[in-house]
Amino acid sequence: MCDSLTFFASAFGRTALALPVSPCQSVAEWGALRGAMRKTVPAEFTRDEWAYLMAFLAPENLQAPFLEAFGDPVVPSGDCKGAVSVSRLVRPRGVVAVWLPNNVSLLGPLTLILLTLTGNRILLKGGSRSQDLTGAFLAFARRHLAPGPLRAHLEQRVHLEVFAHGDDRQRQMIEQADVRIVFGSDESAAAIHGGAPPLRGAGFSFIDRQSQAWIEVGAATDEVLSNLIRVFAIYGQAGCTSPRRVVLLDGTPAQAEALRSRMLELWPQVLRFKPPIHVASGNTMALQWAAALGWDAALAVNRHAVIGVGDLTLQAIDAPMFLPICPATPEEAVRQLPANMQTLGHAFLDPADPRWLRLAATTRIKRLVPIARMHHFGPLWDGQRFWSQCFEEIEVQL
Amino acid sequence: MSSLLDRPPYAARDDSGFLAEMQRLTHHHLKGCADFARIWPEWRGAGAVDELPFLHVDLFKRLEFRTGSDDLVHERTLRSSSTSGSEASRIVLDNLSSRLQARSVLAILTDMVGGHKRPLLVLDDARALRQRGVVPARVAAALSLSPLATGIHFLLSDTNNPASMKWDLLAEVLASGGDFLVYGFSSILWFAWAAGDKPENVRDLLRGKRIHFVHSGGWKKMEALRVDRAEFDGALTKDLHEASRVVDYYGLVEQVGVVYPLCEHGARHVPVWADVLVRDPYTMRAVEDRPGQIQLMNVLAHGAPYHSVLSEDMGRVAPGECPCGRSGKRFELLGRMPHAELRGCANV
Repeated sequence: MCDSLTFFASAFGRTALALPVSPCQSVAEWGALRGAMRKTVPAEFTRDEWAYLMAFLAPENLQAPFLEAFGDPVVPSGDCKGAVSVSRLVRPRGVVAVWLPNNVSLLGPLTLILLTLTGNRILLKGGSRSQDLTGAFLAFARRHLAPGPLRAHLEQRVHLEVFAHGDDRQRQMIEQADVRIVFGSDESAAAIHGGAPPLRGAGFSFIDRQSQAWIEVGAATDEVLSNLIRVFAIYGQAGCTSPRRVVLLDGTPAQAEALRSRMLELWPQVLRFKPPIHVASGNTMALQWAAALGWDAALAVNRHAVIGVGDLTLQAIDAPMFLPICPATPEEAVRQLPANMQTLGHAFLDPADPRWLRLAATTRIKRLVPIARMHHFGPLWDGQRFWSQCFEEIEVQL
Repeated sequence: MSSLLDRPPYAARDDSGFLAEMQRLTHHHLKGCADFARIWPEWRGAGAVDELPFLHVDLFKRLEFRTGSDDLVHERTLRSSSTSGSEASRIVLDNLSSRLQARSVLAILTDMVGGHKRPLLVLDDARALRQRGVVPARVAAALSLSPLATGIHFLLSDTNNPASMKWDLLAEVLASGGDFLVYGFSSILWFAWAAGDKPENVRDLLRGKRIHFVHSGGWKKMEALRVDRAEFDGALTKDLHEASRVVDYYGLVEQVGVVYPLCEHGARHVPVWADVLVRDPYTMRAVEDRPGQIQLMNVLAHGAPYHSVLSEDMGRVAPGECPCGRSGKRFELLGRMPHAELRGCANV
């Protein structure tokens, strides 16, 4: 039922959004949770991850999906008046099911937060053999949110299950879902969507992708390089939105080496902690592996990462904390883009230059964002507006 | 060839002789192995063992190193027994190194279990031998004991199934004498022998027999089972002759030829043709006063640069002399470096 009607207006007309909890209420309650988050970091999260989650819960971030999907709010929420001139009613589809992979990054909690704003019942399937950030965040939120509609929603309408392949709950989850969101391998996504009733629901697959950072020589400020260190270090090559390669556009090998030297200098100012010893050891290995393959490789302080300089055509190494810097022309960089490219993080001298839009138009990249925003999850992901698809739209003429 | 191998394994150390041999060997690998030379392009010489180049152990899972030289013939590839689904290490063996490695292992194990020959019982499947050109590490470890054997008997019909013990074969061999050598991976030795459901006739035949059990492969599974060393050894030697012993040794495929048995006082001794350093994982500085990452060296590896390997095991150099009487350096093995899976987006 219509617990809350909120009205929005855009150039396409007026929209009534019918939700069990008003958007303002949800946004405010999530925002208030940050007070408790400042005091406690659950053991499952690194400090960087926790800080990122807190920033994500800022009201302006959580309001953005509504504004983008429906336009500007036109009347206060909370009653069913003001229906005149509404041309569409938007309501939750019903059940949104999300499959999260093992050891998933912050994408799990971020997806959960965004989906709670849609008013749907949420079924989450967590990874079966590793630490679960989504479950940990859900537990934290249930424990620390003030009593209110959002907390009740999380307690009563959000369900997290962990089960192994072949468990019957998998089939039940697929059958119940009006929207299926699958993070994982191509095979998992195909299996889940393939098992769904053919005439029901929408499916979104966020499968194996990789990202790059492109920097123009004159745009490599200390701020840009510090952001690059931050976005890379949080997940290394394991994150689909982490840069697996830095392309120094129209740079020379000497300029790439100089860029690397500046990053190595900045590293201890940006990241003041030692990595776990297995990361340090893995980077000792990565340094040697990269050198054997012809990379000019160097270690960041405390063996936190290995930064290599080399040609775009050099064989990359599959080491979690290896970041290659390759000088190349934009044309060469485009030719070497992988087929599963996701985010292109940029530091362009003139981001307004139309050639960057043409780049996005003619390649398979899914996101073109500043380097600092590479990990920023949102309602538009991998080229799909999955968040707005969690609603059903009803044509209304009153 | 190394003159150090002519000495008893735990004699007084000749550190300058060891360093000189390691320097020669390192130059040999720099000249004959392009990958190794690319990794250590600026190395010219070492004033001490901690300045010698090394390769990280996991690199042998990524690259197949090979040092070319006129007098070397590369024969087979030794492959680590990967039990966790990870990639296996590949060590290319050559004629010269294989001879040196066989001498080394024999000398070390003779020191621990005696040099007389007796039947060798191996807790593995004989079919593991039949892979052309590739030797699984487990088989290589078992065969390193063959110079001490009058005959070799493989007791499993399935390498991966400790329940596939050939009890009839064991009974037949036990009936033939009173003194035996048994080799197996630690966990297999536990499941198949110590905790195995032995038939009555085998239990009777075992009574009073003198058996030296030699095992390797790590203690991780035993820890998971909450089986400690005393329980493990006690279960194996129950009802046997009092001279029976259990010898646990530490070794890496990437350091084939040198093993580090645990002495009766809980130390792992370093033979004179090898050396062990403990390094700080962040600075790579050699440390003696605290735990760190173990680096293993030996003068035996000619066909590929596995003469100096940085392991992912943690350890500590032990100070002073060992009450067991063996001289030279010794160390304590603290276990594998703790690992955590990196988070990602599609890691299923």
